Amino acid sequence: MEEFRYIPKNELFKCSVDLPGARKFFVWDGVPEGLPFREMPALDVSAAFDVSSRMERMEYPVCLECVPKKAVEIVPEEGVLTQVIFVRVSPSEVLGRVRINCDRPGSYEVVLCSHTTGQERFSTKETVEVNVCGGAKLDLVVMQNENSLSVHKSDFRIKAEENSSLKINIITLHAGNVSNRLQCLLSGKKAECCLNGLYLEDGEQNIDTDITLIHNAEECVSHQLFKGILSGHSRSRFTGEVVVSPSAQKTEAYQANNNLLVSDDARASSDPHLVIYADDVKCSHGSTAGSVGDQELFYMRSRGISESEARILQQQAFAAAVLEQVSKGELRERLSCLVERRLRGENTVCAGCGKGCC
Amino acid sequence: MENLLEIKNLHARIGDKEILKGVDLVIKPGEVHAIMGRNGSGKSTLSAVLAGNTNYTVTEGSITYRGQDLLKMSPEERSWAGIFLGFQYPVEIPGVTNVNFMRTAVNEHRRQKGLPPLSAAEYLKLMREKMAYVEMDPSFSSRGVNVGFSGGEKKRNEVFQMAMLSPLLAILDETDSGLDVDALRIVANGVNRLKTSENAFVVITHYQRLLDYIVPDVVHVLYKGRIVKTAGKELAAEVEAHGYDEFE
Repeated sequence: MEEFRYIPKNELFKCSVDLPGARKFFVWDGVPEGLPFREMPALDVSAAFDVSSRMERMEYPVCLECVPKKAVEIVPEEGVLTQVIFVRVSPSEVLGRVRINCDRPGSYEVVLCSHTTGQERFSTKETVEVNVCGGAKLDLVVMQNENSLSVHKSDFRIKAEENSSLKINIITLHAGNVSNRLQCLLSGKKAECCLNGLYLEDGEQNIDTDITLIHNAEECVSHQLFKGILSGHSRSRFTGEVVVSPSAQKTEAYQANNNLLVSDDARASSDPHLVIYADDVKCSHGSTAGSVGDQELFYMRSRGISESEARILQQQAFAAAVLEQVSKGELRERLSCLVERRLRGENTVCAGCGKGCC
Repeated sequence: MENLLEIKNLHARIGDKEILKGVDLVIKPGEVHAIMGRNGSGKSTLSAVLAGNTNYTVTEGSITYRGQDLLKMSPEERSWAGIFLGFQYPVEIPGVTNVNFMRTAVNEHRRQKGLPPLSAAEYLKLMREKMAYVEMDPSFSSRGVNVGFSGGEKKRNEVFQMAMLSPLLAILDETDSGLDVDALRIVANGVNRLKTSENAFVVITHYQRLLDYIVPDVVHVLYKGRIVKTAGKELAAEVEAHGYDEFE
């Protein structure tokens, strides 16, 4: 006879990234605890998104027909950090849908964390809709920390209206095969958006980042900074497209992807694009892939910093530019600490490991 | 007295180009040596080889430091053993703060000596004390290592780092280059405060003016990869007056 043992869900995963004053919610295998879970209107696949020239050619990480009707709804409260922790428990495929709705002007902060428990092969496909209404400001941090067998495909569909401000930082500490696709539409005048990402990879990991950012109104500003540190046999692929539509005069758009290759066998591919239909714009893009600087390394070693420690300092420094973008101080410190531990090859399971760091 | 450093017939090259062609040099604790020479005479190569820069290959000769074969030691081991190189062009490390950089270095030194790491408060106390040696503003500690520093600030940062690590053998590679008179005086004062009977300094320079502030016991002229003349401090004035032509 098989023995069953009941383990309450809240015993399975303890998040100790304890952010004082935060509203904290869990989502277990796609099902939320304490947050609304209800039917939502169909996904916005309006013509505006389709300005992108690549749109048709791209394969969606999540097929549009598969997007569930029921969505986890996150309505952030002004002045209170909302932390939602997605935990994978049973090794079935999860098709998820999440809606972050900032439908009133104000300043909002949301942290989404995704984790796996145990060493099973988890597959997660989700659509994350983010709406930032006129005059609203959203600071969203997405932290991904999963096991090396996990497959996680996220399709972010972001809409920022007039005079809104949006910042998204995606920190991928660890995972097996990740695909983050972001489609961001700046639909109203003077919308601002910062999309940043940091991905740390080793072993056989693979991380794809695919961005389509559409400036569809005048005087919008966008900044993108995506950085990757790759070791082992890991792979990363960055595809980024910024589209400036004919009406989007006085656009400012900047995009950068920098990769640090720590091992001989790691590979980074980077493919930034600008598609500009307006004539009065400031846009730039660039990408780099390189290894650690020998001069810096020698300088540090000449001060008595061992080679391995010097390499970690360099990698931390490389990551710092993205981490600095996390506005909330406590969260930034904890993420920096997790990144450091990850670079040292230590345990980054942030659940009660007793290291006192997070 | 036992030699601190003994260089015998040192030959070194970068790529295919031989730069040092048989350098001999003996340094004892408590001494200040000046090495003068033209651009390309091998001054910076000598300091790079002493610090363990792997861009240079030693093809012949030996370097003995406190009885040990220096050439077998890694750059960090040399640092732990008390060697310090003040860089002619200090390296910028964006993203690594000065405080994080030096605290890591100081604590690695302590770990090698079997000492516990300094607490944040202990480190700050030591840092402020040593920054005062070179009249450096403590706000520099939160900035990226040498990032956006002026020429003078970079050199002061080198001397500050030297003060933090209290080396036994400090090699200052053209620390005077790019300094105005005030900065030169500050840097030189910092060096003079660190002088003891236990440690030694090698000051590498083109000009005499630094040697007005840091007075050497011995002056060497390096010419085409060899030390061609060694004398007392009066040699510096002679070089300044007549140039290097007489060593042709």
